Amino acid sequence: MIKKYIISEFMNTNTVTIRDSATFREAVDMMVENKTNGLIVVDNLQKVKGILSSWDIIQHIVPDYLEEDKHLAAFESGDVFIRRIKEVANTPVTEFMTSKVHKAHPEQSLMAAATILSEFHIRQLPVVDHNDVLIGYLNRTDIKKAIAEILSE
Amino acid sequence: MTFFIAIGIFAIAYAIIISEKIHRTVIALIGASLMIILGVISQEQAIEGVDFNTLGLLIGMMVIVDIAKHSGVFQYVAIWAAKAGKGSPMPIFILLGIITAVFSALLDNVTTVLLMTPVAFVIANNLKLNPKPYLFGTILLSNIGGAATLIGDPPNILIGSAAGLSFNDFIFNMAPASVLIAVATLLILFFWYRKEFVATDESKKAIMRFEPSEAITDKKLLIKSLIVIGLVLFGFFTHGFTHLEAATIALAGAALLLLLTFNEPDHHLQNAEWTTIFFFIGLFVLVVGLEQVGAIYFLAQKLFMITEGNLTMTTIFILWGSAFFSSVVDNIPFVATMIPLVKDIGTISGLALAPLWWALTLGADIGGNATIVGASANLVVSGMAEKEGHKIGFVEYMKVALPLTVVAMVISTIYIYWRYLV
Repeated sequence: MIKKYIISEFMNTNTVTIRDSATFREAVDMMVENKTNGLIVVDNLQKVKGILSSWDIIQHIVPDYLEEDKHLAAFESGDVFIRRIKEVANTPVTEFMTSKVHKAHPEQSLMAAATILSEFHIRQLPVVDHNDVLIGYLNRTDIKKAIAEILSE
Repeated sequence: MTFFIAIGIFAIAYAIIISEKIHRTVIALIGASLMIILGVISQEQAIEGVDFNTLGLLIGMMVIVDIAKHSGVFQYVAIWAAKAGKGSPMPIFILLGIITAVFSALLDNVTTVLLMTPVAFVIANNLKLNPKPYLFGTILLSNIGGAATLIGDPPNILIGSAAGLSFNDFIFNMAPASVLIAVATLLILFFWYRKEFVATDESKKAIMRFEPSEAITDKKLLIKSLIVIGLVLFGFFTHGFTHLEAATIALAGAALLLLLTFNEPDHHLQNAEWTTIFFFIGLFVLVVGLEQVGAIYFLAQKLFMITEGNLTMTTIFILWGSAFFSSVVDNIPFVATMIPLVKDIGTISGLALAPLWWALTLGADIGGNATIVGASANLVVSGMAEKEGHKIGFVEYMKVALPLTVVAMVISTIYIYWRYLV
């Protein structure tokens, strides 16, 4: 079979998803359990609501006043790290996930996918069908595999 | 007919600005556009009404501060103060209060509280204390310090530009009042909170381990920023000889700092608070509309009748009236409206205007302390506090701030009376 280099040929279908009703604590547990840095947040119909990366988790535990002024981080009291994590443990994931998600369709070309990844500096691209239901995802490694394939032809 | 159109536009715009239902800049621009579209003023008149000296000074300072704050210089001073206070809550409180006031005299109030509120949290967390006294101190002293100089608070820039009052005029006339009020406020806060300010030896040690130099992220930038800030202040001080306007000095300073840092200007120019600048533009045009139809002159006549043209009466009336209005309305639109009114009072009564300008400055700058919605700086602090789970209640704040504001206004009254009216 001749490959057309479209998304469906290279995407992963066993995606790790989390429901939009989950909390900070559940998201962290799921990431650790699945050894992943990215979760796709879906609603009850498997429609994509957002993406949650370790980055979002880390950003969420940094209080706004330190984000406002990074010069002060070195002086903050050590127990603030523990206190802050306990404070945010039950925040719904919808409050700190990235909700503006770029999505792709399975029949789109890898060039389209690569363009989105490179333009927005994102790592994961959820792939949805025409009812907006999640069917897989494509990450940077998948694109790299396709590149290597072409180079070795 | 245009008389009522102008008043209608102005009153509705003001009401919506106070209600905060729609962003104040959007409303000011819509009101300004309507003044022209509905034929109250022409576009030429509108543009003439925009005070470009005020805008230039604001933009220049915004760009300079935006670049300078990345060096960590302001944070360095604040952390240094905590250490100089030997880790004891009370001396730290006083030192941070003084630094807030000094920063606020050089920077605008919102920038000051954006720098000092995070410091307040970090200090309180290290001392294991309730951050509220520090937050209240930050709000109060930022507004008090802002009154001291031409560039300390946007209303001062408006007044200075319209009345031809220089940087030195402000320092000479307003800084003493600002210092007196700051001292009184800190003393009262000291007695108010003295029982809360208790720290363990361990938390004192945590503060003593601070290494202020860690706050400096860019030493080269720090030196360049200090040189430019120094030059700009020198420019303001020597206005009497050079006759260079404040906008020229600030914009030249901004250009020089951009040149010295070889920074791409895009980012720093974007970071100027254009929403505030456009709010000013909208306001200027709104006020021109009101002036054009004689509404301001009408108000000035009424005020003249109430005070019977007595200078003392008029001055005290403006001082307390400004303080009252500024505690509910943002002081920028209030002062923008009061400026032509004070000028008209001058024309009608032939009174010396200097005491009136100083009364307007003190009332508008410090009146904002009375309530948590009284000034933009107050709202910024309460917004940050709420996110950290330390919501500042309206009444909770007013219990402390209102008496302090009344004390400040009494001091202002005595100061102005003694200095200008006897």
